[in-house]
Amino acid sequence: MDAKTEKSLERTREDIAVYTSIIEMMEMAPGEMNHLYMPTMKNMIRQSNRIIECIETGEPFAASSFSNPTEIFTAMDLAWYFPFKQAFAGGVPNPHMMDDLEGLDSMAVSSDICTLVRLALYYVDKGLLPKPTVYLGIVEPCDGIVGVHEAMRTHPDWRDVPTWAPDTIYWGDERAFEYMGNEFKDMVRFLTEHTGKQFDLDRLREVVEESNKQYLLWQEHAELKRAVPCPHSYLMGMQCFYQTNFEGGGKPEVTRWFNDLVADAEKRIEENKPEVENQKIRILWFDIPPVWFEELFGWMEQEWGAIIVMDMVSFCPYELIDTTSEDTIFKGLARRVMMDPPMVRQARGYADNFLNDLTRIVRDYKIDCVIWPGHIGHKDGAASVSLMRERCRQLDVPFLHIGMDQFDKRYMSPDEVKTRISQFFTAMGLG
Amino acid sequence: MEAGLQSPAFKQLWETAQSLGNPEIQKWKESGKKVAGYYCSAMPEELIAAAGMLPFRIRGTGSQGTDLADAFFSTINCTFSRHSFNQALRGEFDFLDAFVMLNSCDNVRRIYDHWIRQFETPFTHFLSLPKKAEQAQVEFFRQELALLKGHLEEHLGREISPDDIREAIRLNNETRRLLRQLYELRKSDAPPITGADTLAIVVASTAMPKARFNELLTEVLDELHSAEGITDYRARLMLVGGIVDDPGYVNVIEDQGGLVVTDSICFGSRNFWVDVDESDADPLMALASYYVRDRPSCPRTFGLHEKRADYIRDMIDQFHIDGIIFQRLTFCDVWGFEQFPLTNDLKAWDFPYLMMDREYMLSAVGQLRTRVQAFLETLGGR
Repeated sequence: MDAKTEKSLERTREDIAVYTSIIEMMEMAPGEMNHLYMPTMKNMIRQSNRIIECIETGEPFAASSFSNPTEIFTAMDLAWYFPFKQAFAGGVPNPHMMDDLEGLDSMAVSSDICTLVRLALYYVDKGLLPKPTVYLGIVEPCDGIVGVHEAMRTHPDWRDVPTWAPDTIYWGDERAFEYMGNEFKDMVRFLTEHTGKQFDLDRLREVVEESNKQYLLWQEHAELKRAVPCPHSYLMGMQCFYQTNFEGGGKPEVTRWFNDLVADAEKRIEENKPEVENQKIRILWFDIPPVWFEELFGWMEQEWGAIIVMDMVSFCPYELIDTTSEDTIFKGLARRVMMDPPMVRQARGYADNFLNDLTRIVRDYKIDCVIWPGHIGHKDGAASVSLMRERCRQLDVPFLHIGMDQFDKRYMSPDEVKTRISQFFTAMGLG
Repeated sequence: MEAGLQSPAFKQLWETAQSLGNPEIQKWKESGKKVAGYYCSAMPEELIAAAGMLPFRIRGTGSQGTDLADAFFSTINCTFSRHSFNQALRGEFDFLDAFVMLNSCDNVRRIYDHWIRQFETPFTHFLSLPKKAEQAQVEFFRQELALLKGHLEEHLGREISPDDIREAIRLNNETRRLLRQLYELRKSDAPPITGADTLAIVVASTAMPKARFNELLTEVLDELHSAEGITDYRARLMLVGGIVDDPGYVNVIEDQGGLVVTDSICFGSRNFWVDVDESDADPLMALASYYVRDRPSCPRTFGLHEKRADYIRDMIDQFHIDGIIFQRLTFCDVWGFEQFPLTNDLKAWDFPYLMMDREYMLSAVGQLRTRVQAFLETLGGR
């Protein structure tokens, strides 16, 4: 392996080392939640190891945005990674973050754009991402995502990587799903051509039937979170998304994890023994979590008894795919890609998408307050804040708009974010 | 630097660009006809015109602030969306009978969500414009245009025939041809018109009936053919980026000695460098092909950066450009990312450029002057 390739794997190897040591510590000190946390970490390690293996053996692999259908990758046995994941190191604090942000400041990309997508470009520019055989972008949910994929695609180091992206249109109706389904048929043609991997419809059907089981269990878990107190912390919802949308999508071991998750939630409800004790405030965190979510959400739980009951990552229609024919499968995958992933679901299309989800979650999950973090990258959401605030007023639920950068603590410091949240809780008489 | 255009035709075009309402709109309304507002140059205005409406491109010209719009938008939304919506809230667009929108960008597309809640515009419609430019996207957008056509027909109670659309395409292509003639004159060593005056003319083309605009521009072109050219400039510049509709911004650049002779901006050459195909048997397909695939793209479309770069490269050669000024509105993600690959291209071409962020309304003029002066110094030249 040459020095450039080795450098591109540095962060991947670090992630593996971090997760391996966390798992080792968990094994040394068994906890009652370990069986639900460890599989996700093992999954992340497996995905990273697969990429290293591909590079070592010359097997083709992909870099893909998070909302392309993982079921197709699983069915084609195509290893892949999410190029933005490095920014949050898969969930643990990224030790390089401040250096990366300072490096990012010197790049010719404006600092008022989403830091996460800018970071992805920074990693390409600095040679910190494994150069894939093929690259799969997306064009929603924001202008920044189109821009970063274009910038990555045309970067001198990646210019020779064949690239494809689906056109995710504005609507969420049958016509849109059919159109998008055809886009994914095109994606299969692209992958077959450029990776040499074979596509087998029966194998895809098998994978989708497995992922249907996962979505059904995810839905069950989401419904169990309506219980007061909420059986699980925010981390479980995030893991549900990770398990279905990343390496494990459509794999039986992930279905087993979902079974364990639902069983654990049921047990906790029956025994009135929630993962987070002393719950006083039920929150809808109406966005993705900040990269320093453990610090912030942990503080909210401990300081205020405030628990994130629902968020954008955890909430989706959890719809199942009809596996009758090739058309129904692709149309179903299209529906999933357009209607499920966080941000793509809410931000693509009219602002009513935000409002409808907000209304449903507040009503179904007995929400005490809604927090819109106001990430700098979410311009469409920023332009919808007044509508969200108005809807919350109608629902008689307090609404907080923070105005932070989910990925850059320098924009608004953690202390300031915490102060705003504390002042909000106090002013609203919560907790 | 002054071209000294004196004709009444130019004066009318200039004044049209300096305000939102204008006498031509008033005349149009007085004759009982309707006006449809829209944002973004990617709007197929031919279809609106074919319905007998006057397409009017919404701007924030003359805005004094965003106090009203700030209740609807956040501080991380671009000032174009906030100023233009502020003007709407102040009643400056009350003359609109229809509002047609597309998903141009994250800031502007949300104006539709607020518009339909705040105003009782008789006709509103939203088009989904694809973000790729292949045949599947052209066909999808044709469906979108057919839906808009059907909606307009239902609203107006009359059919929009293929010939109506063809006539609108013909008229708009005539506008495009005239504007290209105007730009052609700017290729000379002594261009007869400034960049600021040219911008005013392009802006005016979006705010009055095309037939009337074509008459006026024809008069201006006649005047320009015999006009004395501008020679007292230090460098020939190309303006690149998103929305600029204020000739005052270009004036500041030109006052420093940099003559803007061409552009790739939202109120600029991208709108008319290519014609809609008049020979297509299906005029809706001709429009879909043009707006999705054939016209020079902006960076909201994925996969076309190389074409955008080629377009700029071609402009540099055709107009003998000495330097590029890239400007973007703060909080514009579309153009914010385009900076990166474009910078790489310009470095690879060893071509001088200046990257600037700005607000929609002309501000920080001193800083703008200083940066342009410094840039012109680096160009050396005349």
